[in-house]
Amino acid sequence: MRIQALSGDADFCKKLASSSFHGFVHSVFERTINLKCLDDNELYTIACNKLDNGPNTLVIDLPSLSGMEVAEGDPVYGKGDELIVGSGVFICMRQATKWEAHLPSYPCDIDVLRENVAFMKQYVDAKGKTGGMKMSSRPASLFERETSRMLNERAEALSIELAKGNSESASEQAVRLVGLGPGLTPSGDDFLVGLCIVYKMQNIPCCLSCRFFEKVVESSRELTNEISSITLKKAASGKVRESLVDLLRCLTQGSREELLPALEKVVGIGSSSGTDMALGLICGLERNLEAGGNVCLPKL
Amino acid sequence: MSTKVVIKQSTYFDSVSLMSLSTKANQIEGVEQAVIAMGTEMNKEVLKNVGLLTPELEAAKSSDLMIVVKAATEELAESAYVQIEELFTKKKGGSKGASEIKYPTIDSAAASIPEANLAIISVNGAFAAREARKALENDLHVMLFSDNVSIEDEIALKQYAHEKGLLMMGPDCGTAIINGVALCFGNAVRKGSIGIVGASGTGSQEVSVRIHDFGGGITQLIGTGGRDLSEQVGGIMMIDGIKALEADAATKVIVLISKPPAASVQEKVLAQVKNCTKPVVVYFIGGDEEAVVAAGGHFAKTTKEAALKAVVLAGANEDEINKRALNWPLIEEVRAKLAPEQKYVRGLFCGGTLCDEAMYLAMETFADVYSNIQKNPDYKLKNIHESKAHTYLDMGDDDFTNGKPHPMIDPSLRIARFLQEAKDPSVGVILMDFILGFGSHEDPVGVMLPAIVEAKAQAAKAGRHLEILGYVMGTDLDTPNFDEQVKKLMDAGVTIASSSTNAGLLAREFVVKGA
Repeated sequence: MRIQALSGDADFCKKLASSSFHGFVHSVFERTINLKCLDDNELYTIACNKLDNGPNTLVIDLPSLSGMEVAEGDPVYGKGDELIVGSGVFICMRQATKWEAHLPSYPCDIDVLRENVAFMKQYVDAKGKTGGMKMSSRPASLFERETSRMLNERAEALSIELAKGNSESASEQAVRLVGLGPGLTPSGDDFLVGLCIVYKMQNIPCCLSCRFFEKVVESSRELTNEISSITLKKAASGKVRESLVDLLRCLTQGSREELLPALEKVVGIGSSSGTDMALGLICGLERNLEAGGNVCLPKL
Repeated sequence: MSTKVVIKQSTYFDSVSLMSLSTKANQIEGVEQAVIAMGTEMNKEVLKNVGLLTPELEAAKSSDLMIVVKAATEELAESAYVQIEELFTKKKGGSKGASEIKYPTIDSAAASIPEANLAIISVNGAFAAREARKALENDLHVMLFSDNVSIEDEIALKQYAHEKGLLMMGPDCGTAIINGVALCFGNAVRKGSIGIVGASGTGSQEVSVRIHDFGGGITQLIGTGGRDLSEQVGGIMMIDGIKALEADAATKVIVLISKPPAASVQEKVLAQVKNCTKPVVVYFIGGDEEAVVAAGGHFAKTTKEAALKAVVLAGANEDEINKRALNWPLIEEVRAKLAPEQKYVRGLFCGGTLCDEAMYLAMETFADVYSNIQKNPDYKLKNIHESKAHTYLDMGDDDFTNGKPHPMIDPSLRIARFLQEAKDPSVGVILMDFILGFGSHEDPVGVMLPAIVEAKAQAAKAGRHLEILGYVMGTDLDTPNFDEQVKKLMDAGVTIASSSTNAGLLAREFVVKGA
């Protein structure tokens, strides 16, 4: 089976072009297949064409991956412009467009941002999915209710420390969110992904120390699963999926017309993942709006 | 109250599926609470807060999936769990290999199965040598099914295996029977006292099948890969194979099979035959009888002769063996049916050695024998899609299979070629092999039958007899059933040959009159 890759993370493409990729299939889902690379121990993703670009991700020209004869443990090899999965799947990279996550800078004019964040908050309140950070009025179980309660309590504690500008205590609170939530990417992790990229924007008023991000990444290795851990690791270096970058760009400089579809797309991710990420964005942006001005980096 | 706890190790479900499963699980009758969540520390904390944490759950890892069902009674909890499992099965939707243990690397497989001593490697050729080396480093014998491995890599791997006292079967090795287990392509044959070292897959299969038919049995069938007897590789594996079988107490007789080897390599192999303490039957297609006999070997001109000699050397009474002599009355009958212009044989083979053997037998009688695997460049087909005079095609050769499945797996290419040949009024006989056994098509005859019926009908309409000769390579122990496959062919008016050798001889003899 030969499949064309439509687009791919520039670093992933570069890795394939410059050296051989050697690994195995880590996990198989309907829309994604995760590959574990034995050279750098990282997870890489093959995504169907309904999904957006992302770090370590190749988007291929198939609407669903369920028909691919690929199973967990199958060997994966890559060289040059081809990635070979199992014994019969060949993914050709030759025509793949390279993609890279470029976060927008924190805007000089914060009025648009302030308005957009307020709009997003209303939208998530009204249309965000429950079961994670957003508590359902009728949770399916005691477990769900307790999870949402703990998520909110810990996110609030983190938010307070961020407002105080205390990186060290903020990181301690952030770690308490890692792995919290029943899903494949627990809600606490998703929230932190949204939060991290806010603090990775250039000219962000309230800087967080490198230690904050390091601590989140280090703790994620133990406290959450591998798939979520790599997402957090990438987010901690400012790399997230395309739809999240687009949303952040619309928030900082977009009109309401531009913001709405970007917001709908993110909130539509996963079960409650998109909502949880959006709430992380809101939290981070609100803390920075409260601080006001660009206090971290001198303007040129 | 009763709580049922199950931990599924390293199990991943996407969040949407997990949430949907969780919601449905909580709606099952009798369930007070159901939790399906990843086994992270934080989730265990939540479980503790809601009074569901057990010592078993405390041990769950963040990559594990925890399933907790709390119900009024043990029975209800158990029944709810069964329903949750059903939901999981539906979600997973029969993904392949669910019950298999899969190891991501040879190193991890070797570490997890310390008793394993052989690795079969079938990966893209560009990476096959690396995997084979890893297996050898882990003290595993190797059967390397992959092709497109460089000759340099093959030599290096075989030398390394030789130094370590391991078998390096392949690259491009498709047939082996080790300790009674057929690997990749092979037939179900009885155990016995004859060991085979073969550089040609279907040739080795054919000899093993004939040995079975003559009442003998196999100890081991060691494949070497098709290039082993080339000048560069120097027969490293065949020589090591002979030594291995010589050292094997159960093996009384050794059979060597190969397409024509390089002269210098034949010399080396025969030197090993000379030193061997066990009788060795040598079937090198088109081989030199004098050289074999001088080395103390037993020369065989055909696969059938190789099998017969081996069985007799192993102690069978030759007089009691049904040698399946050629049916001369049948030959006369077919000759009479063919018109004078029906002069040619067209052989369409799945098995390379079966093609080679039939072609060599034809070359004994005819000069104009063409093929895609002819050694003589004058008779090598320039255009493989058009036959000339007598044409024998190995349709499993790279010429035909590049980018397509082997005809033993996908017969569509051979069907099309068969219909093309059947229309040619100069064709008297079309010869085809049907290979049964492990790895082969589940019904090789069945897929060909409609084309056979069509071709026969068209020939009859054109007022000519088309002789279709079939050889079913298999044993009474094989799947699909040998007798049923033969019957299907006979019912369709196909003449059956009892061996690869007889198939070659019959095809040749059928057209002798008109040649």
